[in-house]
Amino acid sequence: MLRVTPTQPAPRATRRLYAPYCIFLLILLAAAPLSGDPVPAWEAVARHLPGDALALLGPAGKSPDHENRFLHAVATLDNPPLTEAKLTDVAAQLTDLARGDDEIADAAAYLTGRLYQVHFPTPDPVRAAHAYEQLAARHPQSYWAQLGLVKLGVLQLYVLAESATPAARIAVAESLLPRLTVPELRRDLHIVIGRAKLFHGRPLPEVLEQLVAADRIGGLAGVPRADLQVQIAELSLRAGDWPQADVYYRRFLDENEVDARAYQVKQKLAVIAPHLAARQDAP
Amino acid sequence: MKKRTKLRLTLGSLAAGYLAALGWVYLRSTPLLSSRPVTIRMAHWQIEQGPPDGFAAVIRRYEELNPRVHVEQVTVPGPLYRTWLRSNFGGRMGTDLVEFAYFIGGVNDIPVRYFEPLTGLMAEPNPYNRGTPLEKVPWRLTFADGLYFAIAQSPEIGQIYAATVTQGSSRLFCNRPLLDRITGGHGAAPRTMADFRAICAQVDDYARRTGTVVHPLAGSLLNGQWLIDFTMAGSVSGMNLALDREGYLARKPRQAMTDYLLGRWSYRRPELRAALTLAREMVMQMKPGYAQLSRDDAVQEFQRGEALFIYAGTFDATSLKKNAPFPVEAMRFPQPQKDDPVVGPYISGPFQDGAIATGVEFYLNKDSPHKAEAVDFLRFLTSVEGGTIFQTHSGWLSSVRGVPVPPELEAYRPTGDGYTTGMQYIGVGPNSTMKFWQHLHLLTGPQGSVEKFAEAVEADMPRAITADLRLELSGNLTAVRTVDAEIIALGALNRLGPPDAARAERQRTLAGGQTLSEADGYEAAWVLARHGYTP
Repeated sequence: MLRVTPTQPAPRATRRLYAPYCIFLLILLAAAPLSGDPVPAWEAVARHLPGDALALLGPAGKSPDHENRFLHAVATLDNPPLTEAKLTDVAAQLTDLARGDDEIADAAAYLTGRLYQVHFPTPDPVRAAHAYEQLAARHPQSYWAQLGLVKLGVLQLYVLAESATPAARIAVAESLLPRLTVPELRRDLHIVIGRAKLFHGRPLPEVLEQLVAADRIGGLAGVPRADLQVQIAELSLRAGDWPQADVYYRRFLDENEVDARAYQVKQKLAVIAPHLAARQDAP
Repeated sequence: MKKRTKLRLTLGSLAAGYLAALGWVYLRSTPLLSSRPVTIRMAHWQIEQGPPDGFAAVIRRYEELNPRVHVEQVTVPGPLYRTWLRSNFGGRMGTDLVEFAYFIGGVNDIPVRYFEPLTGLMAEPNPYNRGTPLEKVPWRLTFADGLYFAIAQSPEIGQIYAATVTQGSSRLFCNRPLLDRITGGHGAAPRTMADFRAICAQVDDYARRTGTVVHPLAGSLLNGQWLIDFTMAGSVSGMNLALDREGYLARKPRQAMTDYLLGRWSYRRPELRAALTLAREMVMQMKPGYAQLSRDDAVQEFQRGEALFIYAGTFDATSLKKNAPFPVEAMRFPQPQKDDPVVGPYISGPFQDGAIATGVEFYLNKDSPHKAEAVDFLRFLTSVEGGTIFQTHSGWLSSVRGVPVPPELEAYRPTGDGYTTGMQYIGVGPNSTMKFWQHLHLLTGPQGSVEKFAEAVEADMPRAITADLRLELSGNLTAVRTVDAEIIALGALNRLGPPDAARAERQRTLAGGQTLSEADGYEAAWVLARHGYTP
């Protein structure tokens, strides 16, 4: 037969010692995730270590702190496997956070748009566009609103209004340019519009206008920079703008000596040289 | 025997055995406690002759300089590599440094998940280059290509994830004494396709006259594929540039897919028919049934003197030279000229047989417990001294600028003096590539022809390329999604922390790269929706 011996209650003095200690410990434990520095967790997200970020956060999903809730939502988004239910939950958290009036709210609103644009298995571009538009209307100068406008431009060019003509799509995207005050984001939309014009068969000078405008803003690096340089050079050559082709081919070669296209570019420059010389010699 | 004596003998034997074991452990086996508290491991699949010796020599020297650190080389055979990589890194048991390349397939998510970027370190000089002309040069610029290609295929635009160890090219390796015998004297290396055709005819004639088994090219499925790849790439340069509406001077797989769906090319196009004709002509110089043979079979055929040439990458050079019982000469593959009767009208010029790219990329494990030591070893491996040691002991060219190239390796050095325009149309994605190789016997078999091949492959291509484009877009979407969390996190760090120009720049670069990649994806999706194959 199992005999259960009731535990003896601790002496009163001991209880008096334990009780405040336990309460203090509980408060500490509960407050730890809230008072913790969010920077290490954000750093973990930036390094694609969402598991580490969530471990640093603790059960912050239900915390009233905006920073921690936002962090939790972003880390969850980068932590596969992602089910539709999980995404719906993240979307609800972001929508709630986006009601605020701080930078977190703007970033959450932007990310809500991204969820509908690319994260859900069945994208909802109309809802994504609406999120970007609303954000831009509320805080037009916020970085996240500006980035949202670029994404909106891309959606207008290729996805929204299925029956729209290419010309109408391009016109809508171009109308967003004046609203973009962050130079590098304006540059990105110039490039996207230029390439869409090329795709839809618009005349080369129209395409070049966009691409050159993007290059003037500058700031691109690596392969996108090399691609833009060679694209401007080659399209200028085809459009008969030899001096511009020469400038951009030379710039490409200066910066990309080991690019596999360098040999071709040298051949192109050799073709351009006599034409430029002839121009200079002309009275 | 008395009981007491027995006991003494037993105890004595036990004591002697114990002492012998003790002596063995302390005197003969490896030390029980390592004098080197840190052990780092580097994994790679370069198990050809050469690289393991090269790495071992670098490790020996590094351990002399760093008595605290022990470096272990983990060699994993190529066919197992992907599985090994996934299971080890998934279980957080990956080596500290690991070779990685996208061409092993199905591993695009690995760098972002498991590797640590080296971007910041690459901007600093490599301390092991002290006292050399590269002393003050940022680490990135000490590589022959400035890590151009490692950056180009970085999973995150603007980030540098890898340091490279070597550079190479594709070459025609020649059995020099056999060439002399066949040509009756000191035969000149073939420079043009016309020269090569003449030598192939001489080889056939020699084999008939002497009754010996000898073919112009050593054959195997892989060597055949490399050769087809090379001849096709060169022969379609004109077509690629004609299709290049965007002005990039090259075609990328996604563009080739949409071009196909838009009806801009097919295997019936004259340029591709010519390229296939040349490819057939080249592999017909291998022995019949080459497609059933492995790369080792081709090497052995060459080493037995049953093939005059073998076409391979310079990664095979050390094995070929060490094992062949005759002098092996590396030469560039002969190029068709503009007056070539087969592909002449369609080529833009000479084709590139080795880009000035450095390769064999080593990545740093994000979870390595000894990151500092691993980076330090990587710096030594890619310093002037480390590169020289690697080159000397492996027979592979070093990736490091300033490492003197001995005359015997000079022929391997890539020159970049030719056209390279991207696609070679051995399929344009995994599904179409599989179809290409599945039907290849209709091109290269004894009864094969370009017509038979083109008809068969064209029957499958619309469906295969549509599937390829879907897969491509799915991969694009995954990459685009992955970046979102990082962009947001960098924004948060910019908001919470002190200003950091590098971090802000990285956020801008990521956002820009994501937008451009997304627009490319939507463009392809536009074509897919309107022109994709529907059963």
